[in-house]
Amino acid sequence: MSADYRFNAMYFLPYIHLPRNHKQFKSTWVDFPNKFYDPEKGYKLYKRYLKELVLADRLGFDAIVVNEHHNTVYSMMATPNIIAAAVLPQIKKAKICVWGVPPNFMLPNRLAEEYAILDVMSKGRLEVAFPLGTGMEYWSNPVNPATARERFKESLQIILQAWKEDGPTTYYGKYYTYRFLNPWPRPYQKPHPPCYIVGTGSPETIEVAAELGFGYSSVFVPQERTYELNQQLRDRAAHFGHTMRPDQLPLLTYVYVAETQEKAEQEYIVHLQRFFEDYARSTPQWLAPPGYISIEQLKIRAAGADKLHGGFDFNAVSKSFFVAVGTPEKVANQLGEWAIKAGTNHFNNVMHVADMPHSKTVQNLSLFANEVMPRLRSAVTQ
Amino acid sequence: MMKFVREEYTVDGVKTVLHAAGSGDPVVVFHGAGTVDGFDYAESWAERFRVIVPFHPGFGQSGDDPTFTDMHDYVMHYLGLFETLGIDRVRLVGISLGGWLAAQFASEHNDRVTKLVLIAPAGMIDPVHPPLDILSTPGEQVVGMLVSNFEVLKSKLPEKPGIDFIADRYREATTVARLWWEHPFDPKFVRHLKRVKMPTMIVWGDEDKITPVEQTALWQQHIPNADIRVFKGAGHLVHLEKPEAVDAILEFLA
Repeated sequence: MSADYRFNAMYFLPYIHLPRNHKQFKSTWVDFPNKFYDPEKGYKLYKRYLKELVLADRLGFDAIVVNEHHNTVYSMMATPNIIAAAVLPQIKKAKICVWGVPPNFMLPNRLAEEYAILDVMSKGRLEVAFPLGTGMEYWSNPVNPATARERFKESLQIILQAWKEDGPTTYYGKYYTYRFLNPWPRPYQKPHPPCYIVGTGSPETIEVAAELGFGYSSVFVPQERTYELNQQLRDRAAHFGHTMRPDQLPLLTYVYVAETQEKAEQEYIVHLQRFFEDYARSTPQWLAPPGYISIEQLKIRAAGADKLHGGFDFNAVSKSFFVAVGTPEKVANQLGEWAIKAGTNHFNNVMHVADMPHSKTVQNLSLFANEVMPRLRSAVTQ
Repeated sequence: MMKFVREEYTVDGVKTVLHAAGSGDPVVVFHGAGTVDGFDYAESWAERFRVIVPFHPGFGQSGDDPTFTDMHDYVMHYLGLFETLGIDRVRLVGISLGGWLAAQFASEHNDRVTKLVLIAPAGMIDPVHPPLDILSTPGEQVVGMLVSNFEVLKSKLPEKPGIDFIADRYREATTVARLWWEHPFDPKFVRHLKRVKMPTMIVWGDEDKITPVEQTALWQQHIPNADIRVFKGAGHLVHLEKPEAVDAILEFLA
C-alpha cells in the first residue's frame, strides 16, 4: 500500500456474566431482562476494560475505537462518549474513535458539542463515525425506524453546519428547528474531526458517505461483499467529486494471536463462538423493525435468512468474515492479503470478544502490537 | 352474492385501489392494520348498498405515501377519494385501525357520515385494558391472536409464508409504524369523539386478544348513543367469525 498501515483496537465492553439459562432467551438484546445486570460485576468489568484500552495505547495501537449499543449484554457502552472521556486522560498517543453515537438518539447540537469537547480535550485526536444504529436500537429508543434514514440525514446536516459555519446560524428542518445553532466549544480539528459512516453496505448509507466525502466503516459484511462495497464506495465518492482514500475504508477484523496455530485456535474459537451465538444473538424482528430497511433490502435479507440455519462453524465464519487467528506471521500475512484485496491500509481490529478473559486479551494485544504490527509495517517500507 | 370489481384512482398523486360491488347508497369500509382478512364478509351488504372497500395508502394494492404520519392524513385522503367518487353522504364501517379512522372521519365531518359502524376499533386510550402492541409482537403471533377459531382465517393465509407475503406484511407494518411508532395513542382523537352524533353501532368479539372487549365501556362513555353489540366466542376479526355480526351490521346500516 502507498500509505502506512494503521491499527485500531476496537472494543465492545460486553457484560460477560450471562445467566445460566440465557439460552432460553431468543435474543440477548432489546428485551433480555436487565435484572441480570449486576453493577458490582459491571464495576470490575469497566475497570478491567479501561486498563486494556490504556494498554493498547501503551503498546502502540494507533487508535482506540468505541461505539454505542443499547439494551444488550453485547456492550456496556450505551453512551460511548463517556467511555471516551474516561480513557482520554489515560492514553498518550492513540487517537480516540467514537464510531459512534447514532445521531438519531441524541439532539444534533448536543452531539456536535460532545464530539467537539472530546476533540478539544484530546487536542485533535478524535475521529467520529455516524451509524444509523442497528434495528435493535430502534426497539430500545423512542425514535421511529420508518423515518430513521430521513432524520439521520437531517441530523448530519445540522452537525456539519454547526461545525463548518460560524454561528449563530439557523436550521429549519422536518425534525429539528434551531433558532440559534451556535454550539460551544467547536472542534479542535478544522473544519471538523475525520468522519465515517458506519453501515452494513446498504445502498442508502453508501450514498450518504460518498456524497459527504466521509469514510465508511462496514460491519458484519462478508469478505467478497466488502471488496465489492469498497469499490462501490470509491466509485460513488468519485461521482460526487471526492477521492475515497484507503485509510477511509477501515476493515473490521477479528484477530487473535498466539505462539502457535493450535494454541491460538484452542484459546480463541470458544469466545468467537459465544460472540456470534450469545452476544450477537437477536431475532429477525429485532434486526429489522418496520420501515428500518426498504422492501428490496428486506427481500434480500429474507432470502439470505434461509442460509443461516445451523450451528456455529469456525471455518465458515473465518471464510465469511475477516477472522485472522494464529501465529504472528500467519495473522500478518492474512491482514496484508486482505488489505490489498479491500484497497485499505486501515485495520479496525476487534481485540476482545465475548467473555475472553483478561489474560488472553493482554496476550492478544501484546503479541499483535509487538509481533504483527512490525511485520506489516516493515513489509510496507521494504 | 355480489362480486367485487377492482377500480383504480389517483388521489392527490397516490394510487388508490378499491373494490366495489352493488348499487344504492354508498357504504365505505375501512380495513384494519393488515389486509389479509380480505373483504368477502361485505358481499351480503352489496345486495342492498354500493359497498366500497378501498385499500388505504401504504396497504394492499394501493400505493405508498410516506408523508402520511397521522390519522388526519388518512381523513384528508378520503375526503379526496369521496370527491373523486362523487360521494357526499356516506355510511362508514371501520375495522380496528380502520375503526379509529372511521370514528375520526365521523367526528371531523359529522355532517357527511349518516351511520357509523366500528368493528373492534383501535384508538381508545384505556390504560387498564390496553390493546396488544402489534408493532412489537411478532407477526406470526399476531396472526394467531386475530381470531378465536383459526379455521376462518387459515384459508386466507399461505401455508408457508413466502418472501412476497413477508414483504407485503413488512410494508404494511412500515405504514403502521409511520402512524403509531412514536404516538400509538392520540388524546385529541378521544377528546373529539363527542362530535360523533350519528347513529353508531360498535361491534366486538368477547374473546378479542388485540383490542380487549372491556374497552367498550369507554367507547360507550365517549359515544353515549352507540349501540354496542358483543358477540360471544369471537376474536378481533368478529366479522369473519360471526355471520350474525355481519347480518346485524347490514340491519343497522339499512
